[in-house]
Parts: sequence; structure tokens; C-alpha cells
Amino acid sequence: MLAYLLRRLIGTVPVLLSVSIFVFAFVHLLPGDPARLVAGQEATVEQVEGVRKELALDRPLWEQYARYLSQLARLQLGRSIKTHEPVSALIAQRFMPTLWLTVVSMVWAVILGVGLGVLCGVKRGGWQDRAAAAAAILGISFPSFWLGLLLIDLFSVRLGWLPTGGYGGWTSFIMPAFTLGSAVAAVMARFTRSAFVEVSAEDYVRTARSKGVPERGVIWTHTLRNALIPVITLTGLQFGFLLGGAIVVETVFAWPGLGRLLIDSVSFRDYPVIQAEILLFAVEFVLINLIVDLLYGLVNPEIRLQ
Amino acid sequence: MLRILSRVLLAAGLVFGASSAFAGSDLVVVVSDNLNGLDPHDLNDNISQAASRLTHEGLFKLDRDMKLVPALAESFEANDAATEFIFHLRKGVVFPDGTPFDASVVKFSFDRGGNPANNLKRQSIYVMIDHTDVVDPYTVRVTLKYPFGAFPNDLAHPGAAIVNPKLVEQWGKDFTRHATGTGPYELVSWDADTLKLKKNAKYRIPGLPKIDTLTYRSVNEDGTRLAMLQAGEAQFITPVPPAMISRIEKDPKIAIFDKPGLLSLFTTMNNAKKPFDDVRVRMALNLAVDKAAYRKVIWSGYADEQFSPMAPGLDGYVKQTPWGYDPAKAKALLAEAGYPNGFEATITGSPATIPKRTMEFLQQQMAAIGVKLTVETLEAGVLTQKLYTNPAPETATIQMLQTGWSTSTGDADWGIRPFLWGKGFPPVLNNFAYYKNKVVDDAIEAGLSTVDPEKRAAAYAIAQAQAWKDAPLIFLGQAHNLAAYSVKLKGATIRGDGQFNLDDDATLE
Repeated sequence: MLAYLLRRLIGTVPVLLSVSIFVFAFVHLLPGDPARLVAGQEATVEQVEGVRKELALDRPLWEQYARYLSQLARLQLGRSIKTHEPVSALIAQRFMPTLWLTVVSMVWAVILGVGLGVLCGVKRGGWQDRAAAAAAILGISFPSFWLGLLLIDLFSVRLGWLPTGGYGGWTSFIMPAFTLGSAVAAVMARFTRSAFVEVSAEDYVRTARSKGVPERGVIWTHTLRNALIPVITLTGLQFGFLLGGAIVVETVFAWPGLGRLLIDSVSFRDYPVIQAEILLFAVEFVLINLIVDLLYGLVNPEIRLQ
Repeated sequence: MLRILSRVLLAAGLVFGASSAFAGSDLVVVVSDNLNGLDPHDLNDNISQAASRLTHEGLFKLDRDMKLVPALAESFEANDAATEFIFHLRKGVVFPDGTPFDASVVKFSFDRGGNPANNLKRQSIYVMIDHTDVVDPYTVRVTLKYPFGAFPNDLAHPGAAIVNPKLVEQWGKDFTRHATGTGPYELVSWDADTLKLKKNAKYRIPGLPKIDTLTYRSVNEDGTRLAMLQAGEAQFITPVPPAMISRIEKDPKIAIFDKPGLLSLFTTMNNAKKPFDDVRVRMALNLAVDKAAYRKVIWSGYADEQFSPMAPGLDGYVKQTPWGYDPAKAKALLAEAGYPNGFEATITGSPATIPKRTMEFLQQQMAAIGVKLTVETLEAGVLTQKLYTNPAPETATIQMLQTGWSTSTGDADWGIRPFLWGKGFPPVLNNFAYYKNKVVDDAIEAGLSTVDPEKRAAAYAIAQAQAWKDAPLIFLGQAHNLAAYSVKLKGATIRGDGQFNLDDDATLE
């Protein structure tokens, strides 16, 4: 097990290295001159050149990349072009708000989504199934900025029950987590239902029924357990996406997360911040994939053996 | 009331202990973008500069009406040539950490800001300084390289604020996260999107400020800022999009701030290239726009007619005769210039709501005189690159640019030179129209070479008249500054340049 983990972790090094090359090339080839953007509209030509020199943007690309890589090897991310802040501090400030919002949103969305999915699978064709399908379509198609603003208008402006936004006590999580999670819950419900229906038609489910396993056992042990594999994959993917920062929800609820930071740094061509954020997302995805693989084994021991 | 208070406390409680927030008033100001730093010498955006003005002061400052008033200096004298300035400093001022303010601090601050090796964004403010001398502990002499009449105005800019030498030394590269000066407020903390300040107990005016703590938050979404104000979580929000004013107009707890600003709105035309090298074409385009409709449609009426290339309120402003709206005359002028069937051109600008809608509006107006405009929106990074990397006007790729100008110094020079001076083609300055006229250039340079207000006014009168007549730009209007605030707050405004301004004696009930 430990050897497996170690092997997987070593395997991520080339992945991250290629991500670093790709991202570096991508951000440096974007049109737009950070030196000019940093120096501003009122800057003199000398000033712009001064900034360019200070940021080493006048050096050849390969040299800049070598410098970046040697920094990375020493676990340094450099400083933001825009604010001179160490990139690690910038990201650290915004990582926890994003992580907590993701966790809270995912927890309720997965529980509700899987629960609803199973209900629909069991009662397929019934009114529960149709009602849940309608709710899911609403959840998927409701634009989150609109939902967010509606919630703020109702619960903050009119009723005065919840803060409009910001990262604070538990009350500040309710509306953003609801907005962020509702689309996820809807997708999870649809996905679980179809996986459940598919597995229900398998021979071993029929066998279980015919040998007299109680219906509850058929649903939870035989059907759901096998239907969970694709659901876990989807959960992992969604988790990874949300960890990247939910730009719309962060914007509407003034949430100091990674999504807004990415948008701001892209529009400012803040190379070190963009590179660090995307590298962080890559690391997160690699870790999530690893966890997902381990979970497969937990749910289905046959996978573990392979 | 108790509920609102408890929520404000909840918001404040993250950084402050609840007890300190209970002690008095906490003012929450919400702006649209994140701060770039706190080091006044290294800022070039309105939002960060407005924040730095709460903690820092210069020798002079601009009050809420953009009038020059002394701050850390008591008075000044200049020689006739406007090359040597002597400043008499206020005595007994200290920084919050006890560091005394004196002539050596002023010299340190000017030397720091102007030193090219430091690469600070506000060097341009100091470029005319040759050297700064300490005459005695409370007298400073600044010798300039060339005459510069607007120098005291320059020193009122946040970029010329006096920084605490001890903090600069202590924090080095991280100074911009810890800077705090002799201003009315003192830095407490600055995290992702929230700046926390408290009253500077050692402020030079005893008894002021009257507000105990101040939170400066960045919230990007217009609707969310509005909701924060409506819910009582914020007491001042800016900007407020013109189209949103109607939603809060009738709320008795909310007041609207609506005053003409210094932002002139215009479209540049590349004067060096066909078809815009012909003054008749540029005149035709000015005549083709229904400016009253523009103000109503794009600005919901929160804009004024434009009477000069320079913004009203600046010293030396002279009203010209408006171009008016006359499509028939515009068509005749186009025909005279050799374009009886009009022509095609591309107009470029930012994808933000107002510039984009303006360009679409112009497209529709120009169609009436046969000019077919293609609207091109470019993201800021790409647009900046296109604008500043042209070697010559003839090779410029942008034909027409939807933009505007707002002076940051409150002086006439910076209200006209950046975009109409013949020596200010990009990348030197922002003359994106590539307009070059000897009369205007001479007048702009004459205005810079003297401190005599009458001579300066005469020079800017000439520049305005000539540049207006030449129509190098399509003059569209003057934008208002809009903000909304709680009726409990007194003394908070938006200055002409668009910066949030809090009077020293502002109060919050």
C-alpha cells in the first residue's frame, strides 16, 4: 500500500513539470505587457523599461523559465508583479476560504444529490422521480449569479437574517454554499439515478432478488455499492473544479477566494500568481485522483487487487 | 437596529476584538477593486490612492473640491522662474509610532520617490526635482531642473505623500503592506479584500478624526455593493452604475452622491492617418453625435454637456461653443472632404458596460451619415499592448479609441497635456489621437513654465480654443461621480477625480 502510494506520488513529478512548462509558455505568450500594465497609464517610457528590467522580463524566455524552475525547486513562488506580495502569502490568504466553501458545498450537495438519485432510481417513473428531475433541471439551469443576487435580496436586504457576503462566521457560508452546491447536487442526482438504473438491470441484482435478499439489501448493498464507482469519479472531478475557485459565486458573495485572484491576475498579466495558481490546481487534481482511486478500492475490493 | 449593529460587529469581529468595535463608530466603505498596495509612492489606481490618503499626507493636499490646501507644509515661496521652492513645515507632527516629522523626513521621502533605482510607480511626480535640501529642521528647499509652475499641486498628489522613514527601513520590499503615515487614520491590517484602519491618536489636528475605525472593502459585483448598503453592512459604496440609481433613490436610509466629475468622455480619431487627417471629417463626426441622447441612453442622465477639451473646475477652464448635433451639415462636410458615401472605420475599446454601449451607440449614430463603424472590444492587457507598442502614428493599428481622461493632480496641465500634446504620442503619454498642433503645443509648454496664475490661464485659454476647433476627438460629455451612502454618515464624498474622500471631521451616528 505504502509502496503504491509512493509510486503514485513520484509519478506526479513529470506531470507537474509538464504543467509548469505549459503554463509558463501559455502566460508568457499571451498578448499584453505586464511592465506597461504595472507602470500604469501615466508612466514614462523609462519607468516601463525599469519595471521590465526589475521583473527580468527583458531576459530571454528560456532564462526566465530556468529562473522560475530553480525558484520552484527551492519551493519559492516569487512575488506578485502587481502588489509585490509574496505569491505564497497571497495564495495562502485565499486558499482556506475556497477550501471551506468547497467542502461545505460538496458535503450537502453530495448527500442530497446521491440520496435523491437513489430515490429516483428506486421509484423511477413515479411522481418522486419526475419532481426530482424537474428540480434537478432547475438546479442545473439556474444561473448562479442570478440565484445569488436573489438570495441576497431576500435574506439580507429584505429579511436581514444573513450577511450579504464575505468570509466570516457560519452564517456567511449559508447562501454561497447553497448557490454553489445546488448545481452540483442537481448533477449528482441525475448521475446517481442513471448509474443506479443501469446497475439495477444487472444479472447479479436479479440474482440477489431471486435468492430472497430483502429489498433494502438489494438497494443499498448490491445496487448502490456498484453504482457508486462513477459517482465517486464525478464527485472527485467536481471537488477539483470547485477548489479552483468558483468565480461567479465568489464575485457575487464577495468571497476572498482563489477564483477572483485568478481573474485579477490574468487581467493584470501577473505571471507569478497565474503560474502558482494553476500549478496549485494541478497538484490538487493529482491528489484528488489519488484519493478517488483509493476510494474505489474501498468500495469495490476487486479493484484493489488489480 | 440591534440586529444591524450585531451584523456590523460580526463583520468587524474577524480582525478586531468585539470590544474595540463596541467602543465607537466603525465606518465600512465598499469599493469595486482590490488594493494594489499601501505605499503611496507606488500606486497608480484611484482605489488604492484613496485608501493611502486616509493614512498618509503630503506637504499639501486637495480638499473635497480639489482645491489646494496646506497639510504638512504651512506655507511656501517660489522664485519667479518657478525653479526653486521653499517650504515651511508644520511643527510638532509625529508618525503613529512616534517618529518625528521634520525636514529630513521630507528630503528622505522625495529622494526615495524620485530615485529611478527604486522603480516606484510615481517617479513621474518627482522628475522635475534636481535636488532637495534641508535648510533647517522645519524648512526645505527644492530646486527643479526646469520651471514647473504646477509643483505645489504635484505635491498634493498621493504619490508625493510623506512616508515614515523608519517603516521603509524596517520593511524594505514589504513596505507596501505596512505603510502608514501622518494621516488621520492608522493601519491595523490588510488581508485579501479588507483594509482595516483605526483613528490615528497622534493626528496633527487634536480631536480629529471623529470616526474610530474604518473598514475599506473590495467587492467587485455592483449588485452586492448595493445590497450591502441596503442591508446596513456598509455606509458608503462607490461606484454605483447610473442604471442602478433608480433602485435606491426612494430608500429613506440612503442618500445618493451625484456631482459632476473631472472625467471627460471622448473618442479619439487617428489624426495622422486617413480619413481623420482631414479636419472636416473630424468635425463631421462631432456633428453626427446626438450628445443629449448619449447622456440619456448611456448615462441615465448622469453626465453633462462638454464645453472644452479640459474638464470644468480646473483653473483656466474656458467654455467653448458646443459642436451641436447636425447630421445634415455632417454629411455635407464629409462630401466636401471627398467622402460623399462615407467610409468604414473600426472603433476599439474596453468590453466594460459603458464603453461597449457607447461604441454601439456611436455605430448607430454614424450610420446616419454613411460612416460604417465596426465595434471591437479588447481585454485591457491586449488593448494596452496595441496602444503603446506603435513606433509611429502612421503604423498605429487603432483607428478610433473609446476612452476618456481624468486628471489626478487637479491642475490644468495634467488635465490637457497627457492626451493633446504633440510630444505626448504613446508610449510617452496618452495622445492616442496623434494630434499635433504648434499653437496647442506652445501654449501647453508656456503654461508649464510659470507659476503666475494669469499667465497660465491665458496659455490654457489658447490651448483649449485651438484644440476644440481642431476636433481631434469626438467630444461626448462629462461624467458624473456617483456613490451612495447611509444618511447617518456626514462628510464623505467623491472628489472630482473620482477618489473617495473622507473629511477629517466626518461623523457616523
